[in-house]
Amino acid sequence: MQRIITTFVTLALTAALLSAQDNEYQTTMKEIVSSIQTAAAGEDLTPYANQLERIAGVEQKEWLPLYWASFCYMLKALAENDGAKKDIILEKAEALIGKADSIQAKNDEILVLKANLASLRIGVDPQGRWQKYGAISGAALTAAKAVNAENPRIGLHEAQGIFYTPEAFGGGKEKALPLIKAAIEKFEKFKPTSDLMPNWGKEVAQYMLIEAEKK
Amino acid sequence: MKYLFTIGLFLTALLQVNHAQRTITGKVTDRKGEALVGANIAIKGSYDGATTDSLGLFSFKTRKKDTVSIVAAYLGYDTEIRIVVLKNPLHQVDFQLREAFNDLNVVTITAGHFEASDSKRMVMLRPLDIATTASGGADITAVMQLLPGANRVGEQEGLFVRGGAAYETKTVIDGMIVQNPFFSSTPDVPQRGRFSPFMFKGMAFSTGGYSAQYGQALSSVLLLDTQDKVSDNSGVNLIAHLAGVGVGYTHKGEVSGQLFYSNLAPFLQLVKTNIDFIKPPQGLGSSISVNKQLAKNAQLKMYATYTDNDNALGLPNYEDGGKPYIFSLRNRNFFTNNTYKVNFNAGKLIWQTGFSFSNNTDDIKVGSVPSDRQDRRIQMRSVLKQLWGKKQQNSILGGAEYHLIQNNNLFNGYKSSLEDHYSAGFVETEFYIHTKLAMRAGMRGEYTSSIGKANIAPRLSLAWKTGDNSQISVATGQFYQTPERNYLYLNQNLDFELANHYIANYQWAKNDRTFRVEIFQKEYKHLVREFQNSFDPNPYRFPTGATNNRGYGQANGFDVFFRDKKSIKAADFWLTYSYLNTKRLFQNYPVEAMPTFATKHNFSAVYKQFVPKIACNFGLTYTYTSGRPYYDIQQEAFLSGRTKAYTNLSFAASHIRAIKRSFIVFFMTVDNVLATKNEFGYRYSPDGTQRFVVTPVVYRTVFFGVSVNISRKADVPKEGKLDI
Repeated sequence: MQRIITTFVTLALTAALLSAQDNEYQTTMKEIVSSIQTAAAGEDLTPYANQLERIAGVEQKEWLPLYWASFCYMLKALAENDGAKKDIILEKAEALIGKADSIQAKNDEILVLKANLASLRIGVDPQGRWQKYGAISGAALTAAKAVNAENPRIGLHEAQGIFYTPEAFGGGKEKALPLIKAAIEKFEKFKPTSDLMPNWGKEVAQYMLIEAEKK
Repeated sequence: MKYLFTIGLFLTALLQVNHAQRTITGKVTDRKGEALVGANIAIKGSYDGATTDSLGLFSFKTRKKDTVSIVAAYLGYDTEIRIVVLKNPLHQVDFQLREAFNDLNVVTITAGHFEASDSKRMVMLRPLDIATTASGGADITAVMQLLPGANRVGEQEGLFVRGGAAYETKTVIDGMIVQNPFFSSTPDVPQRGRFSPFMFKGMAFSTGGYSAQYGQALSSVLLLDTQDKVSDNSGVNLIAHLAGVGVGYTHKGEVSGQLFYSNLAPFLQLVKTNIDFIKPPQGLGSSISVNKQLAKNAQLKMYATYTDNDNALGLPNYEDGGKPYIFSLRNRNFFTNNTYKVNFNAGKLIWQTGFSFSNNTDDIKVGSVPSDRQDRRIQMRSVLKQLWGKKQQNSILGGAEYHLIQNNNLFNGYKSSLEDHYSAGFVETEFYIHTKLAMRAGMRGEYTSSIGKANIAPRLSLAWKTGDNSQISVATGQFYQTPERNYLYLNQNLDFELANHYIANYQWAKNDRTFRVEIFQKEYKHLVREFQNSFDPNPYRFPTGATNNRGYGQANGFDVFFRDKKSIKAADFWLTYSYLNTKRLFQNYPVEAMPTFATKHNFSAVYKQFVPKIACNFGLTYTYTSGRPYYDIQQEAFLSGRTKAYTNLSFAASHIRAIKRSFIVFFMTVDNVLATKNEFGYRYSPDGTQRFVVTPVVYRTVFFGVSVNISRKADVPKEGKLDI
């Protein structure tokens, strides 16, 4: 009897130890992801990105640490004004999302982030880069749509593309309006499958809606 | 039960021991000791680590023990790993990271080099910049003439670089020399280049000291790199302007074909020309290109074009009672340029091989005398390049070229022909001694069968980064060129002409502002001299006198360039000034003199403004070129006369409109808005009593047109993406 109890206790303790480790991933990630998604504009996300990269180094089968690290660098690139520095940050972000892609291919969230990064590359030098990165961004979005057309961040990115393109080039706020509304509709329906999953972009869409409805 | 408790206690204790924490602290700096803020410190294979604070300091706790790898990483720096045996409660680990090779800190060789490309960051000009420059007329060479080091010559096509004649500059597409880069020469009517700027992803204009990969140009090379495949889109392009109509179709971004019919008659109806066109220039052009990714590592590019153009003009005549004589020209040109590029070992070993062929026929009649010309060039080239280094920043390459050039010429009923087998081999290495110090050294050997001579030419460039945004670069080398074919028809004992270049350059570039100064010294040796009883000023003469290689010359000067795309919103402007001091004894010059194509001062200002609200792009270009030497039999000193200075103010505007899936671009240009009566020189009658002025074809040119792009995917056409 005692033996059975001993075995049981040992097993229980081992399980607890193991789940503690698993929990460490869940709890740490949850904390970071919520911090990132609620971070104030302009807040330096480097410590989170660093932490995520460390986690990614351990959890080699998880795509989310890499995704979120890449996301941090995307925001960092957005805030950077110097083109050359922006490129170095984007290079890092691309490397991270590329790794995520190799862990989980055909993931709509990864593809959308890729499209976002390509668009930021264009921003550094629109004239010289729109051809190359425009094609990359377009291809990534098309692929994302094929996986999950209901992902609101696809529509958001499309709306942004039109929103920031001058009217003469086939863009403009007016033209973007139906796309923004469609994106918001999808945001309303969207439920992330877990706390660690991407759930960003709604505020951006709402900001664009206000701007687009201004006359 | 008690027993159970003991086990529990024991296990807990075991966990406790396991969980004994150790602290790791330290500082991360660069090699100069400057703190790196935001660096990532991690124990490999664990969650443990930290981010450095504003002083570069970090501190964290870990439950790890024994031997661990501590990794320090920072954006733009090489990652470092330290192996540490954790046994004490506190460990101090400091890192000094080395800057990685990246676009921000790496030096690039800029002496004698003017890049206009899409891929590199050190860019100066873009294909689109060429299309939107007023007075450039979307012609590559016309815009390159506005860059430092180039002399503006209005009555003849070609690039005149730092005291060099047009024949001293070679146009190179994907590494291969283009036999006929311009439409066939017509007296005093400058011709356009045959290629559209949009064919190319990069255009580099050398002002001297260029790479050992290229040869046969005393002064300069214009390097054109064709576009890679960028999208899968299909589309139709239609263009119509005052001088012609064209249609193009692109299939899945891989194959595209163009047809163009040009006829200057409507345009010549509208303007008063200074040249009497008996038959307005007209022509038919066609081209096809294939751009295919054969495998992930192999790329095939093929291009072929055929054009057929003709025109006739009346040229002043001092005999036969002054009745103008007729110069007529029909040019037929076939050209194909093909390259295959494959890389091995993850892109570290690159092999590029190319084949080109051109066949050019000029049926010329001067008066009633046929003066036909024909030339043909078959060219093969192969280059193997090996990259190495952390970012593959270093390279070594070797290559070989073979050309077969055949020329036929008819002059005064006398037929001459010339065949030349030209072969060349070259090696070159580009090596970073340090991120801040780079070197490019090369050697080129050539053999030309027509003169039966060989040469070996060394080339060397160095670049040193002096600050975050500034650098100094120097270049030197020897540049050989086979004498012009007109001399070789009659004398094949000539030797190569030679130029030695010495160039020093300072460049500052930050945030879309670029400033550069370059000084140079160029020595010409073994230039071909002609001997005749009297000086014949006719630039289109056929040299029949004796020739040798005793000519020489020199050129020196400096140029300044400033470009700013930042200060004015949605605007781009550049200022260029070149000073040139040159003299030479060559061709039929009796004494050393400043050549007729050279000018002391060249200034140009280019301004472009995009107005998003009305989707219009406006451009203004002003150029000033000091007087050019001209010949007058009554002058005391040879070529001592100077024409008046050349000035030109030009305007360009374009408007883009998107309608569903198509884009329409309207464009118009006014060249020489003020209708300044510019003069390029004088042509004298053989007795020197009469002369006529060489002028632009038209004083003021107004030109307009429209381009329509209909795409399967809503792609903005090249013309449409203006600076936003």
